[in-house]
Amino acid sequence: MNSIQKKIFLLTTIVLIIMSVIWIALTYYNHKTQQQYNEILQRYLKLNEVTTSSQNVITDINNYMIIPSEENMSQLNQSKKRMEEAKQGVITLRNEENNFTLTNYVHLMDSFIETTNRLLLFLSENDSEAAAQEFSEVTSISTYISEMSLSLVDTELKTYDRFYRGIIKQSGEVMKLGIFLLLLIMCVLFLVTYWFSLTITRPIFKLTQAANELSKGRFDLQVKVETKDEIAFLARTFDRMRKNINMLISEIKHKAQLEHELQQSKILLQESQFKSLQSQISPHFLFNTLNTISKKAYLEGSEETSDLLVSVAGILRYNLKQLDRSVTLREEIMVVRQYMDIQKARFTDRLRFFMEIDECCLDWKIPSLTLQPIIENAVIHAVEPNEDGGTIWARVIDERDTVLIEIEDDGIGIHKDKINLLLTEDSQLVENKSKGIGIGFSNVVKRLRLFYGEEDVITIKSEIGSGTKVIIQIKK
Amino acid sequence: MVIFLTVILILCYFTFDAAKNVFRADWQFPSDDRMNNQDQQRLVLITQERDTPFWDKVAKGAKKQAEIEEVSLEVWGSYSHNQEDFLKNVEIAIQSKVDGIIVQGLDTDEFKNLTKIKASFYGVPIITVANDVPIADSLRRTYVGSDQFSAGKMIAEQLVRDMGSKGKVVLMLESQEEYFQKQRLKGIEEILKQYKDINVVYAKTIDTTKEQVVVTTQDTLNKEPDTNAFIAINANVLGTLVKEISKRYQIDPYYIYSFDDGPESISLLEEGTLDAMVEQTPEAMGEQSVQLMMEWLNGEKVPLDKNGYLTDIKIQKAENTNE
Repeated sequence: MNSIQKKIFLLTTIVLIIMSVIWIALTYYNHKTQQQYNEILQRYLKLNEVTTSSQNVITDINNYMIIPSEENMSQLNQSKKRMEEAKQGVITLRNEENNFTLTNYVHLMDSFIETTNRLLLFLSENDSEAAAQEFSEVTSISTYISEMSLSLVDTELKTYDRFYRGIIKQSGEVMKLGIFLLLLIMCVLFLVTYWFSLTITRPIFKLTQAANELSKGRFDLQVKVETKDEIAFLARTFDRMRKNINMLISEIKHKAQLEHELQQSKILLQESQFKSLQSQISPHFLFNTLNTISKKAYLEGSEETSDLLVSVAGILRYNLKQLDRSVTLREEIMVVRQYMDIQKARFTDRLRFFMEIDECCLDWKIPSLTLQPIIENAVIHAVEPNEDGGTIWARVIDERDTVLIEIEDDGIGIHKDKINLLLTEDSQLVENKSKGIGIGFSNVVKRLRLFYGEEDVITIKSEIGSGTKVIIQIKK
Repeated sequence: MVIFLTVILILCYFTFDAAKNVFRADWQFPSDDRMNNQDQQRLVLITQERDTPFWDKVAKGAKKQAEIEEVSLEVWGSYSHNQEDFLKNVEIAIQSKVDGIIVQGLDTDEFKNLTKIKASFYGVPIITVANDVPIADSLRRTYVGSDQFSAGKMIAEQLVRDMGSKGKVVLMLESQEEYFQKQRLKGIEEILKQYKDINVVYAKTIDTTKEQVVVTTQDTLNKEPDTNAFIAINANVLGTLVKEISKRYQIDPYYIYSFDDGPESISLLEEGTLDAMVEQTPEAMGEQSVQLMMEWLNGEKVPLDKNGYLTDIKIQKAENTNE
């Protein structure tokens, strides 16, 4: 059965039981009182019956004396019988108070009957004088009987006086009890009903509140109803719905973020492609020209110039062709070398470049043009502004499960806030005035993260005044 | 909320209080006595004068004895000599087949008829108390009470002692003399006839109703103005007699004597109006009558002394007499 229904049923049952108990008690009490009344009335009736029956006997005797018929005789016998019955009834009325009188009374009736019998005997013997005397005797006894009946009634009244008063007083008390009981039950029922309705409406109120909050868009409040009825069930279901909605929302958010990232990487790629296209001025022409100049320089004995031109041509080609592909680390290192050759030619002694390469790690894949922009940055910030130039180290180290690529300089260092700015990828504005070949640092960072799917693939360690170290960690 | 609970508590209290009152059975039916006492013997003491000091004492003594004997006894009586009522009581007692009747004797034919014929017919024993009716007329079992003859003698002797051997004495009588009055009269006469100088006058009233006594008293006072003493043989006339005398004369000079079985006897003696009276022992009468009745009923004493069992008598003088 349902809980609320059960509650209502329980309340109704309790009320019904209380009502029934009161009803039964009152009925029982009523019945008892009725019985007492009956008993009292019966006492009086019995006494009265004696008087009446004795008078009947007298009447019948009189009739019989006037007309001594069979019919009158049987009538008389009937009356006598009735008298006997009345006597038996009276005997049961004996109690402490009327004991004496009642015995007298019974004996008086005996005398009455005896005298009657005697009278009948005289009549049958036709002794009319004696019969007349007996008749007067019977009459006087009958008078005594009715007098004694009265005195017995009187005694009865005296004996039961307290009893009668008790009954009267009690009926008043019953009335009082009824009123108080009614008031009490009214109050109690009022209280119980109040409490009972509260147990039903309070959860509903809570639920309503929760629904309100939900409709306002607050999905983080837990819906809690601590009862065991249907409302609680409703609340639980409601709460589950809230959680589901919460989950769905967070999923959608997550998806939206992913989409956003994808779009960004596309944009970045397009950007770099666009930039590289800008600089793609008839590449074959540029290549051929550069190669021609290189050979020309070589033939003219300027071997150094020739080598530089070859490096420039290599970087140019690499830049143009391989931007949207992954390359091996080896190729990247190659480009870095060519780039540094060019920069060495520019800075001569001011630039000191050291490389420590672990050869076994050079086959790992890496997005193209990632190392070169970092080195370029190092050159721009550590070597260019310094009159004495600077030192740059590039290392590829084989750790157990990662490959570490470190690019270190001894420049002025980068402020912590700026590092954070660089790493959170929102630094396009900062990078706008890049002086390098065009691909910004943040672009590198984003591409690395997208490529490896990890946030901490690149870290920057720097102290103001003593250099910067960029570390790329590639998981094997 | 607190107020509400308080109201409920108060109501609870009143409800339980009322319930307690309703269901507390403080009024019980008188104990049902159907089986008990049924075999107890029933005696009736019937008197003509209820609620006089004398008969109250008789009843008291009888009741005391009845309690000892464990018989039930009821005292029936009529007021102020209502003979009809009295006879009816006796008849009812007989018809009710009580085990014994103790009765103040009444020296009338109706009474004798009842006791002689009806009581014997129903086999109800009768004992006369205080006032006797001769056994020949009443077939009573016995008599319990004073020896009225000697009571008469005693009062006469007291009169002589007080008044001296000379004077006029009025004897207040009923014209319808009862046996006990005759006995008293006999006793008085027995003494007074020894004194030649004492003149005895008989004042007879028809009965003891106030009117008759007044008439008789006035008549006597008119005829015999030089009376010295009154003896009220029937003590019931005493009150009226004294009142009548005091209407004309100072009461003190008169010697007034009577017996203690009238309603005013004792109070008049205490006042000093009455000079002396014969004091009987009513309680002893009551006790002894019941005792004898029970002895007879139980067959312990058969037959009872026909002459009766006499109880003590003595002269009680007024304390502040004028001598």
